[in-house]
Amino acid sequence: MPSFRICVLALLFSCSAADRAAGQERAYFVTYDHYLEEPGNLEVAIATTTGRPKNGHSVYTAPWVELEYGFTGWWTAELYLEGVTTRGEGNGFTGWRFESRFRPLKGEHGLNPVLYVEYENISEASRIQKEIVGAGPLPAGPIAELQAERAHELEGKLILSSVVGPWNVAENFIVERNLSASEGVEFGYSVGMSRAVGTLASGTSCHFCAENFVIGAEAYGGLGSTGGIAGGEQRHYLAPVLGWHVTARTTLKGSTAFGLTENSDRYLLRFGFAYELPIGGR
Amino acid sequence: MRRRLACGSGLMLMLNVAITAQAVQIRQRDPGWSAPPGATSKANPLADRPEAAAGGRKLFLQRCSVCHGEDGRGAGRAPDLTAPDVQVQSDGALYWKITGGNTRGGMPTFSFLPELQRWQLVMHLRMLAPDSGSSR
Repeated sequence: MPSFRICVLALLFSCSAADRAAGQERAYFVTYDHYLEEPGNLEVAIATTTGRPKNGHSVYTAPWVELEYGFTGWWTAELYLEGVTTRGEGNGFTGWRFESRFRPLKGEHGLNPVLYVEYENISEASRIQKEIVGAGPLPAGPIAELQAERAHELEGKLILSSVVGPWNVAENFIVERNLSASEGVEFGYSVGMSRAVGTLASGTSCHFCAENFVIGAEAYGGLGSTGGIAGGEQRHYLAPVLGWHVTARTTLKGSTAFGLTENSDRYLLRFGFAYELPIGGR
Repeated sequence: MRRRLACGSGLMLMLNVAITAQAVQIRQRDPGWSAPPGATSKANPLADRPEAAAGGRKLFLQRCSVCHGEDGRGAGRAPDLTAPDVQVQSDGALYWKITGGNTRGGMPTFSFLPELQRWQLVMHLRMLAPDSGSSR
């Protein structure tokens, strides 16, 4: 265990020693804004979602790894690998996702659209909740059993994002189709607002200046499916978010999402660490 | 098996297109990228606070030097910001370009930075000019 701690400390130190990047890791966990990854930059992120269900099932922690690469100024692609661990119900790998985001318009506009397409090869044990669609509680039971139920899903998002004074305001409309089962098309949403705490950059290097912090909130949930809205069955969350740009390349972020409906978990605790590596063209 | 092969081929094709697209994008300049008249006339609200330029230098080193180089000369990856065709542009035009970026030309959008920080970057760009000096 001490060697693990040393590795983590060494990683944090090496990351804080580097200080150059152009991209901006968003503070949101679920909502997307219109900022794509810098062309030629690879962002490596690790994050977790820890949830406490209301129905007596055990607390779970779902870690995931994100590899995000900016191919061009208008195209960013991302690969997710995810897993889950629970207290008493098992643990394991839950699947992978591959997504691309395209920004069709050049420059900044009042409302900036981004098109998002994702393919998911995940199991019913997936708990990262990078988006919530449809209605009903998360499938419950031993992880090994849930892992056997695979789902191939295709997801689309319309991302709209604006700059309103010092605030970023983003709205995501989600549609998802399970290609492995005839569940119809499921719908979901996510909205977020965030802003930098400091407005003027100080002339000296600092880790704890207000300019390095981003605060905000996001709300997300499912909106039923073509089979029915099922209003009473939906899951919705409201989550304050906090982002800390430890260095220009390194971001830590956290959020506590509060469940707003019967089928929502009591809370979702989320933490993320992202590091940007400039590896390609520009 | 056939499905996996098709998926693999599709992924390879996408990567190929991506790398080609990126290679084409490097060093391309967009001659049509100019600020609208309303933006060019905007004045820098920090013009009477020259000390704010130090923050601009820090931001430049963090956000811009990856492509433009520490001295702003581009180093073959992005335009030379000390060049006359850049320095002749008004503060408002530079601010507009920093804010919105140019997704077609590979310049990122920096509207996530607070407004004053983008103006600090403009101040630093002026310092990069060979005859560094006043706002335009």
